[in-house]
Amino acid sequence: MDPKTAMYVAQGIHGLAYGMILFLVASGLNIIFGMMGILNLAHAAFFMLSAYFSYQVLAMTGNFWLALLLAPVATAFFGILLERFLLRKIHALGHMGELIITVGVSLVILAGVKIFWGTESMPVKIPPLLTGLVSIAGMDYPVYRLFIIALSLVVLGFMALLLYKTRLGKIVRAAVSDADMVNALGVNIPLVFMFVFGIGTWLAGVAGVAIAPILLVFPGLADQIGMDAFVVVVTGGFGSLSGAFIVSIVFGLLSSYGVQFLSSLAPVLMFAFMAIVLAIKPTGLFGERE
Amino acid sequence: MTNKKVQWILWVGLIVILALYPKVFGPYYTNVFVTFAIFAVFSVSLNMLLSYTGLLSFGHAMFFGIGGYGTALALKHIHGLSLLPAVLIGLLSAAIFGLILCPLVVRVSGTAFAMLHLAFGELIHVLALKLRGITGGEDGIGGFPIPPFSIPGVVSINMRAPENFYYFAIVVLGVSLWAMWFLTKTPFGQIQVGVRDNAMRIDYLGFKVPQTKAVVYVVAAAFAGVAGSIYALFQNLISSGALNVFTSFTPITMTMVGGIGSFFGPILGAAIIQMIEELSTRFTEQVELVVGLILILVILYAPLGCVGLFRSLKQEWSVRSARRARLENAS
Repeated sequence: MDPKTAMYVAQGIHGLAYGMILFLVASGLNIIFGMMGILNLAHAAFFMLSAYFSYQVLAMTGNFWLALLLAPVATAFFGILLERFLLRKIHALGHMGELIITVGVSLVILAGVKIFWGTESMPVKIPPLLTGLVSIAGMDYPVYRLFIIALSLVVLGFMALLLYKTRLGKIVRAAVSDADMVNALGVNIPLVFMFVFGIGTWLAGVAGVAIAPILLVFPGLADQIGMDAFVVVVTGGFGSLSGAFIVSIVFGLLSSYGVQFLSSLAPVLMFAFMAIVLAIKPTGLFGERE
Repeated sequence: MTNKKVQWILWVGLIVILALYPKVFGPYYTNVFVTFAIFAVFSVSLNMLLSYTGLLSFGHAMFFGIGGYGTALALKHIHGLSLLPAVLIGLLSAAIFGLILCPLVVRVSGTAFAMLHLAFGELIHVLALKLRGITGGEDGIGGFPIPPFSIPGVVSINMRAPENFYYFAIVVLGVSLWAMWFLTKTPFGQIQVGVRDNAMRIDYLGFKVPQTKAVVYVVAAAFAGVAGSIYALFQNLISSGALNVFTSFTPITMTMVGGIGSFFGPILGAAIIQMIEELSTRFTEQVELVVGLILILVILYAPLGCVGLFRSLKQEWSVRSARRARLENAS
């Protein structure tokens, strides 16, 4: 295969991996928004927190799989605390209060991370099983990127099963369309909300652990991915998972091919795409509400 | 009649205090006050959107920054430009940018409006970082000439002296505050509040909702631009830091702390936050932690800010005194 095609394919794999990570983060945001109408601006901070947790677990045990298991759960725990003790109390105040309190939480998490781990970038090692290249049909692919794509697909499959094949999923889907009615039917909606919030932050946590070896672990991680994930949610349409999926993949590819061809303006491409979509359809690609 | 007189005395007193302030407190606190005044105008301009039209913007820093960059670039490249036109350029560049965004942003509201601004703010931030040739990247534009304030043939005041700059900044910012206050008192200001409370009804009454939002938006942008322009002149530097998300959250924090829904709330909030930052930087480097905790605590315990607290205390007091009066009458 000639080197040019190889380059295209390699960049495509990079873009796909980044897109899948973006989708993990954005889907967590989207599930929370779709169900509770809360745009959790601390979402990216949870993502970063999980990357730090995975660094910590790795530093203590050296086991990547353990980190992949523990860090997202610990992150979800903090997410549940946020829902239970802050967001639930101010729900009556409306969206503005919720937006601003999540900003406050993200600032506190950022400061906490800086206090505990400092501001330096910290490397996270890929486990030996996932390092190196694998050759498929005469082309070499980095194993870890393929692993990220596979991991995201597994997580997505798990989510789809949970949402569409279980009783809990049925309740969640019903609550998305009318939470008050489901509550009146005798379902403990606050508990379901708490659970959904936990799942949403858990998704951000998985993405955080997965990205830690590719990028370094540093406080700016939240800004880097967080902004992209918010743009994904806005462009794809609030509360629409399929919209988020398509836009994540498009952004992943835009950013990897963008870096290849017009490196200095690559970050702008995404915003330009968003501006075009919103100028035509203010609710986003697949969104029905604002 | 007496009320009017008291008001006049208060105004005169305020002006005397402002005039004597630098003489009494010295250069350091004069600079602190100028910073406060800049952020007060910035917060009030955000509050025009937030309290009077119900639009929360997470990207107001872009207008602040664009105003600053406009003034800085004008002073750097146009030789012999005098001071007021430079500030005017800052105002116009922010207003024009607001006008460009208008068709897009007036169609959305609520969370989408906030997020759209977060994204646009970041877009401008990235552009300022990447277009090194124009904006100087991370270093920004610094050391541009600051012309004296001059009316040809009458007077020329050197603006490099902190005290002179203080008077200039206070007058410009004071006029900006007054202009915004005046706008909220006009019939247009009433329509603006109507759009916040019940946009559909305003529409049925025959007023144009998107156009009203657009005008408020451009006005808010313009005054944020003035604040940014004065900020650039004050620091003699404007860098990409003025465009980042943290700068966008500053006026939101100030407005929330001071009191949403009142004109003077953001000014009070700016004063409180300025004092807290001034004090907290002496003890800790974690200003973010302090700001984050303040935001959480204010939303939890005083969602209407200090002004809201005052109001509810006042109400409680009047209820209590009324009850006492009734008891005394009964006995």
